[in-house]
Amino acid sequence: MVYYIKRSDYMLDATQLRDLLYTALSTGADFAEVFCERTHHNSILMISSKIENIGDTVSSGVGIRILKGTSSVYASTTDLSREGLIRCAKKVAQGLVGLPQNISINLTPVTHKYIHDVKIMPDNKSHKTDILKEAYFAARNYHESISQVSGSFVDTDRNILIANSEGLITEDRQIRSRLVISSVASKDGENQSGNCSPGAHAGLEYFQNPKHIGEEASRQAVTMLTAGYCPAGKMPVAIENGFGGVIFHEACGHSLEATSVGTNRSQFCGRLGTKIANEKVTAIDDGTIKNGWGSCNIDDEGSPTQKNILIENGILTNYLIDRLGSRRMGMASNGCARRQSYAYEPTSRMSNTYIANGPDKNSDIISSIDYGLYAKQMGGGSVNPVTGEFNFSVTEGYMIRGGKICEAVRGASLIGRGSDILMDIDMVGNNLERAQGMCGSSSGNVPVDVGQPLLRVSSITVGGR
Amino acid sequence: MEYNEFKNIVIEEAKKSGVEDYELYYKSSSSDSVEVFDGKLNSFASDVSGGICLRVISNGKMGYASTEYLCEDEARAIVHRALTNAAFIESDDDVFLYKSGDEYEVINHEHRIPDTDSMIKSALSCYNDAINTDPRVTSSTESGCVSAKTTVSIYNSNGLDLTNTTSLAMSYVSAVVSDGDEMYTGFEFSHEAGSKLSSDAVYKAISTIGATVPQTCTVPVIISNTQMQSLLSTFSPVFSSDNAQKGLSLLNGREGTAVASPCVTIVDDPYFAPELSCPFDAEGVKTKTKTVVENGVLKTLLYNLKTAKKAGVKTTANASKASYASPVGIAPYSFYIKAGEYSFEKLLSLAKNGVYITEIKGLHAGANAVTGDFSLESSGFMIENGKIASPIRSFTVAGNFFELLKKIDAVGHDLRFDIPQGVSSFGSPSVLIDSLTIAGK
Repeated sequence: MVYYIKRSDYMLDATQLRDLLYTALSTGADFAEVFCERTHHNSILMISSKIENIGDTVSSGVGIRILKGTSSVYASTTDLSREGLIRCAKKVAQGLVGLPQNISINLTPVTHKYIHDVKIMPDNKSHKTDILKEAYFAARNYHESISQVSGSFVDTDRNILIANSEGLITEDRQIRSRLVISSVASKDGENQSGNCSPGAHAGLEYFQNPKHIGEEASRQAVTMLTAGYCPAGKMPVAIENGFGGVIFHEACGHSLEATSVGTNRSQFCGRLGTKIANEKVTAIDDGTIKNGWGSCNIDDEGSPTQKNILIENGILTNYLIDRLGSRRMGMASNGCARRQSYAYEPTSRMSNTYIANGPDKNSDIISSIDYGLYAKQMGGGSVNPVTGEFNFSVTEGYMIRGGKICEAVRGASLIGRGSDILMDIDMVGNNLERAQGMCGSSSGNVPVDVGQPLLRVSSITVGGR
Repeated sequence: MEYNEFKNIVIEEAKKSGVEDYELYYKSSSSDSVEVFDGKLNSFASDVSGGICLRVISNGKMGYASTEYLCEDEARAIVHRALTNAAFIESDDDVFLYKSGDEYEVINHEHRIPDTDSMIKSALSCYNDAINTDPRVTSSTESGCVSAKTTVSIYNSNGLDLTNTTSLAMSYVSAVVSDGDEMYTGFEFSHEAGSKLSSDAVYKAISTIGATVPQTCTVPVIISNTQMQSLLSTFSPVFSSDNAQKGLSLLNGREGTAVASPCVTIVDDPYFAPELSCPFDAEGVKTKTKTVVENGVLKTLLYNLKTAKKAGVKTTANASKASYASPVGIAPYSFYIKAGEYSFEKLLSLAKNGVYITEIKGLHAGANAVTGDFSLESSGFMIENGKIASPIRSFTVAGNFFELLKKIDAVGHDLRFDIPQGVSSFGSPSVLIDSLTIAGK
């Protein structure tokens, strides 16, 4: 038996949408938008070798936005009654003072190509439990020093409908699945942890080898247990592919979002067409990658996602621009408006962002370093887009001596400025891979991919002790 | 559909389905925020939301289902979803729905939520005050006001029927200052709007002008009250008994032993801030104030009904739900390091030569509560001969939280709290650490 509400009942009808748009426009806005969402969040959590919790949540609501020039007003509600929705639209209108402009709304449905097909819908809890357990016990049984493992299988079924005063009405369904394994290794009163958490805009077919995911999490924890502390200082660093791409995401990506650029709060303002990175660096944000974790068919303003080349051979070629950013910057928006949910006003965000393969051989990159750090696994990081100062943590690092990878080191972090590090990436390898993360910013937490091949930063401050 | 109507349908469906033990947790909130940028009202946002979490006990297992979609079909559906979910649970932990009977504190707080117009006025004047503080302040400066009111209701089949309201109102200024080609930022917030807020934010930005990267060194370090509260917040999961019992906190089994320097006392107080006062926790148990660390000795971890039963102690009433839909976990209320006897000037003279840290970044990535290790990008000032000297930036401070607690040499008297996260709020005075490694040049 299926206990879920039918999908056809999910959203508001065209008449209701038009009423809300007109109400929102009633005080002089030049643009109005209604965003409806119903998302089913599911999770299975395992800890101490047992299933401890099943999460099962329907989030449901509507967000209404108006724009006038470069000002915006946003209101959201979970009250979907006719009165509740009109109250929400009126609340938005109250954010402006004035008479309505002469705007007539003709809603015309727009359908988009569904790029991210799902072969096995993640709606069978037993099947998901099997995948989770295979990964979980592979992690648990990896080594005698593994003292705890927590694992979860998380999936979302996100249904959105967007209508705006320019006549657009469009829908999307976004199915995402992710397996998260965190292992803890303990010895002599000390803990070390390791993580592996792949995911995709796809269903259960994505998880072909769950055992490997569990083993990878435990391998990191066990390796770090015997590691000494990383020495501090400035040195060359080789950053491995996959999650190593967080370096670009933090050091540069956020500073290329219209949220920063359009408000003059970025070090890359006014730099289009100029060299901001070493010529070996080409960086791309691509929301269209088939089944990519950060991909969508349409963005949260209803525009198709795009492949945007941000930096080409070191030259800044584009920014990430949403509708409001487009007004502020006088440039076209490019399909990157995102929001965590109906409760957030959308803004420019990254999707799948990566540094493309370069000209160098990976073995040459390691052998070129006489004394430095090999950052095999990166944790997360953050950046101040105004100053460009960033930091990120190295969860699995090794010293490089005489061109060879030597002992493992723990507790390292990399810090610097975006504009400096982009110039200092002086070797780029050819094993591009992407990895999954959640990115937090003003419009909430959204799934993103980061990525890169192995690359070398000629000199960067390594925090250690 | 109103919550009460939804609740009655859930109860009816539960009875029809043979469910005897159930609980409904309802969280509704309304919030407004205004943001001023470039001297104009840049955005105004308003949110009204309500979510319901149903818990049912079936064959000794607890099943959850949650929703924001209030209609009859959904009210019936969540009963069956919760039952289906209970059947998947393997954990042998005892499950609880609390029985009524506690005598709860009565909170007589009048929640004063500013109206939209006064929020806009206040944000605009914060912006103008900031611009007028110094010619180097740029129009990229932002100011804003945020207000929120949240009501939690718990209703269960054991006769519990509780409601409590908390609120938040604050203003903030994020000042951007330019000097030559470089830009500098300073952020301040306050529960009271006023010109001091703006000048504090501007001063924070200006004081960092000309900051240089320090030499790598191991020196005495003062961590400012605002940054020590962030560290305490980041590492607060180590005080959770649930994490301890699962081997995810190194404080497991340490109750009654010294875990910090004798000058450190940590308190958890559900009534510290009147607007955040919580007479009951997320399981409906009456809350109380407790000393978690007293003169360096760990007195108690934080418990809920499940973990207390496992440990054979009484719950400390720290059951919490991160969102309405989250499983019952553990979190503190107003959780703070008690103010010490030292003025800030005295801390500086005790440090003599060292580093004063005023900003720590990237805590979500560079700090690990399971291991206690941190390695974090920081900025601040050199301390020379007991006085604040030149600004420094782009260095990391690395250490281990458990070692740090033991290395606190002196505690200031400038206790301050950060922006509340739900009903949790973290506070600390500035503290002097006998030595930490600073990695710079």
